[in-house]
Amino acid sequence: MFRKILIANRGEIALRILSACRELGVKTVAVYSEADRNSLHVRFADEAICIGPPRSSESYLNIPQVISAAEIANVDAIHPGYGFLSENANFAEVCEASHITFIGPAPDAIRLMGEKDKAREAMAAAGLPIIPGSAGVVPDEDAAKKIAAEIGYPVMIKAAEGGGGRGMRIVRHARELIPLFQTAKAEAQQAFGSPNVYIEKLIEHPRHIEFQVLGDKHGNVVHLGERECSLQRRHQKVLEESPSVAMDAATRKRIGKQVVDALKKLGYSSAGTVEFLREESGNLFFIEMNARIQVEHPVTEMVTGVDLVKSQIRVAAGEKLTDILPGPIEFRGHAIECRVNAEDPETFVPSAGRITAFRVPGGPGIRVDTASYSDAVIPPYYDSLIAKIIAHGNDRAEAIARMNCALEGFIVEGIKTTIPLHKKILADKDFITGKFDTHFLDRALAVAAK
Amino acid sequence: MAKKPTPKASSSSPAHGVDLPEIEKLLDFMRKHGLEEFEYERQGFRIRLKKPSSPAYAFSPGQMPEIVVASAPAHASHASPAASAVGSSAAPSGAAGAAQHAPAAETTRHEDLHIVKSPIVGTFYVAAGPDADPFVSVGSKVETGQVLCIIEAMKLMNEIESDAAGEIVRIFVENGHPVEYGEALFGIRPHRKK
Repeated sequence: MFRKILIANRGEIALRILSACRELGVKTVAVYSEADRNSLHVRFADEAICIGPPRSSESYLNIPQVISAAEIANVDAIHPGYGFLSENANFAEVCEASHITFIGPAPDAIRLMGEKDKAREAMAAAGLPIIPGSAGVVPDEDAAKKIAAEIGYPVMIKAAEGGGGRGMRIVRHARELIPLFQTAKAEAQQAFGSPNVYIEKLIEHPRHIEFQVLGDKHGNVVHLGERECSLQRRHQKVLEESPSVAMDAATRKRIGKQVVDALKKLGYSSAGTVEFLREESGNLFFIEMNARIQVEHPVTEMVTGVDLVKSQIRVAAGEKLTDILPGPIEFRGHAIECRVNAEDPETFVPSAGRITAFRVPGGPGIRVDTASYSDAVIPPYYDSLIAKIIAHGNDRAEAIARMNCALEGFIVEGIKTTIPLHKKILADKDFITGKFDTHFLDRALAVAAK
Repeated sequence: MAKKPTPKASSSSPAHGVDLPEIEKLLDFMRKHGLEEFEYERQGFRIRLKKPSSPAYAFSPGQMPEIVVASAPAHASHASPAASAVGSSAAPSGAAGAAQHAPAAETTRHEDLHIVKSPIVGTFYVAAGPDADPFVSVGSKVETGQVLCIIEAMKLMNEIESDAAGEIVRIFVENGHPVEYGEALFGIRPHRKK
């Protein structure tokens, strides 16, 4: 086991990693920007090193500073958390070159999964279903017609070099294809400097279903079930749960096996999440893989009883899954996570400032992951996540009931939070009956705004 | 480099006969002369004042020294108080591996020094090589842009240039010790503008 680990992150995930290290008897080194001088992960770590001014690019994303800190503190390994440098293959390689273990997948795996079209190719070759679409860039209008006819309408035209909705067009009828093809190309050229577009099947009313996986360095891979993350606002997850109401045991077993087989072929190690879109008919299509621990990992931890962060550290230290996991993965009950952000619950304008009161809920089945505290100042430089509430129950109804209590009992004053939004979601008839897709929240918010 | 923070002002209840104004006078004396440790013995009591070692943990604006009061004096009836002052150049014993640094903020306030801070994380060296002369020492007159030291980071030697002109009055870090971003390296008394 490692002697000392440097946590290359901040906020709640830094605390999460810190507690995993503590449990394993590993010493911890926190790195922080000047804006995070008074954060909890800095206070609780065995050592702390200031690595830069508030801006992420000059601190948490500054590879030389992070590596230098790792060297002067003489650490054995670095845990990158999520975001920041966690999916930076270059950083993983620099760690290796500096003889520091990077707690995550191998650099090549990170690189592969980071290039979305290469990842899709690799996973398709490994047997996972992908969204039907053009094999690559659509060269001309004739090719566009042919491909769209093969896939079947409606289709989506997407910019190859970008995202965020630019250079994207939905085509429902063959007669609209060419004009929209031309507009999409023009927009893509404007936005990303390249007119290259590809075409894929449009999944209407999709649900976002993701599978948690864990691999060791000895070729073993397991899956820990799925999470449903359809509740998103502008592609940002707001609420996650496990299991998905849209998933049955047979499909879970089938897709789970496909995922495990694919990742074994790729020699994947450490934690990761394989993301799918599920269409209304029930088919799942692979869209991308996140080669890191994710924000919503507690949901899986509550349902399986597996500590994913400790497992990552043990895998990185060379242990086998058979020694890390108590037995075959079992699923118990239902868990829901609400991401509490420091934002106005209606306008979503970020709310930085000093927290004047902070009372965290407790009780059976409630877990709160947070680095906030009374008198803490939420800096404006980083993301607005201030706490994750996770509620576990014997079934979904109990989890919802417990989450409602927890939301009522979570007092935050001095800043605005999205707690009221979560209360509304939990009370929504369609949410309660499990009738939603990835457009649900944006639609509900648009209605509410009127 | 900073280690786990020591708790703020932990003071045992003063022994009988010690009064606060007196302790405050001693604290002023320490500040005025930039002292890190101060031991004071007088009939009835002995007191030792020691500044905390980690400038990175600025939880409160003014850092409170740790006050350690001996409960019963070993020697009684000294004719005059015996005071031993420990200046910042002597590293206090006991704290294994921790680099002792005077809190730069206090010194700046009272001595108007310009503090040259480390722009990177790394290891501080006073000279270009083990056999070379130090770039500067206390008393050196430096110009803006003049190389003051080397900070080694990731096997690269970075020359750190002065951002002020004046006289080196304090060197806060020991040769070969690690430094973090923003850590005080040198205290320069700036040349008065003509």
